[in-house]
This record gives sequence, structure tokens and C-alpha cells, in this order.
Amino acid sequence: MSAYNFAFFDEGSKREIRRATLKAIAIPGYQVPFASREMPIARGWGTGGLQLTLSLVGKEDVLKVIDQGSDESVNAVNIKKLVGKTTGIRATEETSEATLIQSRHRIPEIPLSEGQILVLQVPLPEPLRAYESSELVTKKLHGEREYSGAWLMLFEQIMRYGNMSTGADHPVLVHDRYVMAPSPIPRFDNPKMNRSEALILLGAGREKKVYAVPPHTQVVSLAFDDYLFQTESSAGNSCKLCGATDVFMDEFVHEETGETYHQCNDTSYCLSRLNRKVLHQEVPLNG
Amino acid sequence: MSLDTVHDIQIAYRKLLNSMARPGVISNLEEQAKKLEIEVGCNPSTMVLALMLLDTEVTFHVVSQRAAQITKLLNQLTYAKVVEVEQAQYIFVLNDAGSVELEKALEMAKTGDLNNPHESATVIVEADVVSGDSGLLLKGPGIKTGSVVHVKRSGDWIGIREQKNAEFPTGIDLVFVDPNHQLVCLPRTTQIVEQVIG
Repeated sequence: MSAYNFAFFDEGSKREIRRATLKAIAIPGYQVPFASREMPIARGWGTGGLQLTLSLVGKEDVLKVIDQGSDESVNAVNIKKLVGKTTGIRATEETSEATLIQSRHRIPEIPLSEGQILVLQVPLPEPLRAYESSELVTKKLHGEREYSGAWLMLFEQIMRYGNMSTGADHPVLVHDRYVMAPSPIPRFDNPKMNRSEALILLGAGREKKVYAVPPHTQVVSLAFDDYLFQTESSAGNSCKLCGATDVFMDEFVHEETGETYHQCNDTSYCLSRLNRKVLHQEVPLNG
Repeated sequence: MSLDTVHDIQIAYRKLLNSMARPGVISNLEEQAKKLEIEVGCNPSTMVLALMLLDTEVTFHVVSQRAAQITKLLNQLTYAKVVEVEQAQYIFVLNDAGSVELEKALEMAKTGDLNNPHESATVIVEADVVSGDSGLLLKGPGIKTGSVVHVKRSGDWIGIREQKNAEFPTGIDLVFVDPNHQLVCLPRTTQIVEQVIG
């Protein structure tokens, strides 16, 4: 017998998160408050995502956890271990194989499918927080669909820097109603949320909020008619390892030569491309 | 074999979640419902949903000719608080409730307010038939182009639902289950654009 409940939580905690999740799906983009639990990892380290994952997970699930594109970073490994040890389910790095994908700050490069649920960890769920510190007021602003502040933030960036300088977490409008923080994913990933095949759930443990983007739901990144929304450009860059273009890349500086080079940010995507290359190269050797 | 309150409820939840996220997609709770050992007096699938959603943190109301008996049972099994229909977070409208009772329950169900649209009722309705035959054409979030579902239940629930959901984000979310344990969800975002009478 294990010393923990299946999926760590008691059933009451799961029920609380499940009820909030169902309401979140019914009101796309609206932040549903929930009784966030204390977790064995620190708040701000993915407890919201973890709580969602634990409320969802069953014996048949295959889990993938990524942290800024990497399957092997500390945060991802710890979460994977916790879920694995309390459920006994298998973890995978292969995106297409996973039924549950918990992610911090990235949406995988491979398009998600109908049978998958993407859980995003959210540090700051409130897109209006930067200019309004009161929760009571931001709730009212959402209620009244009063988003001039969100537009003004982008406008000020244009005035100051000549373009919208949101590095990540570029606000989106969901189902033509709620302005939503898509979690700190790069702008490159924002379009993947629009009419996604997979259900996307977002959890903020510290801020005690759950929200959702159901499949096939319109998600539009905020932009102006004369200043269009732009994703980070990777034009001219290719991955040093696998040669991929048109993916989100990390920039590195070679310590000795001082040269800059790029690599896929999504490590499992890069790895599967490399593996495929190796297999293809082996064919002529046999012949 | 009895219902496993951890694993069977989890499987049922994922089915409900899938149907809620994809309105018109029918899930089947038969496997879980058949494991219920207690004689509940309502559709066993309704009971599975009650066990999944209710506990001491939430409120509920039962609309049925045997409301007193079933309310007592649900309360004893889940410790959820019994309240009047207009305050209830979860409303169960059973098969023996007539069309007038269903309409009244929907009319009185709380829709939340603009600041707190989540403080609205989820109404679980026992229908005569839930199937993928032609009936209602659905549109909205969770639906790619259009989804067709047939829900047979007496009463003008479609009209009242439309009124209740007129001002998004406030509204009510409906879950239908039929005697064959077929389940379909109509969250407030779903629009019924066409009714094919056949």
C-alpha cells in the first residue's frame, strides 16, 4: 500500500478543482476562484498546473511535463516524479503520445490533438494587474468588459518602443468576451491557442484561479489595426542541432568563439527530429 | 463490484469534462453507473454525477416527485447542503419531474452576476433520450463547425435556457443524462441554432 492517496490529493480537493474546472470551461477565459491547496512544491513553481493535473489524472493517462520547452529541467522532472510516484502512470517525452501535458511557458511545437489536455502553469492570471492592483476592481473591469487599460498598456509600449514589447504573456481576447493572460508563453505560441484541437486548462495556485480555453474557441491576440500582432521572428535562424526553422528558438553564445547560434526551445521536438535523421542516415549504410 | 470513489469517479469526471468542453459530444457512464450498489431511486448516472460533484462545500436541490427521499439520500451520502432551488449550485431535475417543474427550476436557477458568473447553477436533467440523431444543431466554443444532438425531454427548456443565457457570461450550464447513461452537456456558451423536428 502506498502512503499517499492516488494522485496525492484527497477526494475533496479533487472535487473542488473539478467543479472549478467545469465552470471555467463553461465561461471561456474567465478566472474561476478555487480553494488552492498547499502543495509539496513551493507556490509559484507550478502548483496551479499541478493541482489541475492531479485532479484530472487517471490510471490510463500518459503524462508529459515541460518547463520552458524542456522535458528535463528541474521543475518538470520534480512534477513528473511527484505525479508518477503517487499514481504509477507512465511519463513520456513524446508529445503525440501524451494524454496530459503540463507545461510551463510553452505550447509544444507539434500540433495537439483531440485526445489531449494541455495544462498551463500560470504565475499571474490577471492580465489587468499591471495597472490595477485591486482584485475587486479588476473583477469589476472584467464584468463590465472595460479593457481600455489593457489597450493603453500596449499603446504605451508602442509610444515608448515603437512596437508592442510584450516578451511573453501577450494578452488575448477569448470568445470575444474576456481578456485573458495566456500564461507567459512566447508570442510565438499565442496563435496555437486559437481554435485549438485540445482542451487548454490554466491554473494559478498562488493566485487561486483556474481558467480554460475549450477546443475550437476563438482566441485573438490584442493588437491595433496599424500595429499588428507579431510573433517573435526566427527568420534566417535554424537550429544548430536539427536544422529546424520556423520554430521557437533559444539563442546561445559560443563560449570560445563568441558566435551566437540557435537551438530548438522544444527539446523533445528537436530530439525526435535528430532521431529521425539518424535513422534515415543508417539506411544507405546498409545498402 | 462496487463503485470505486477514486478511479471510477475520475473516469466519469473525464467523460463529463470532455462533454462539457465539446458540447454535443455524448459520453456514456454505464460502466460506472452499473457499479453503484445502493438503490438510489434515480438514474444511477445522476447519482455518479452527484458523488463526483457534491460535498459539504456546495449546495444542491432536487426536483422530483420523490424529492424528499432523494434529497435526504444525497445529503447523507455527500453532506452537501440542501437549499431552495434559486440558491442551489447544483440542481437535479429527475425523470419524474414534469415539464412544468423543469421549466420552473430552470427559471429560478441562479445565473451568477457579471462580476461572478461562476456563481451560477449547473442543472443536471434526466432526459428520456440523449442520442446523436438529428435534433438540435449546436454552435459555439468547443464545437468545430456544428454539432448535432438529440435530447428528448418534455418542457420548453430550450426557450427558457435561451432567456437565462441571454447575457453572457451569466447563465446556466445544463447536463442531460438518459436511462441508457448517455450524457451530453450544454454549457451557457452553446447556441442552439436549429431544431430539426423529426
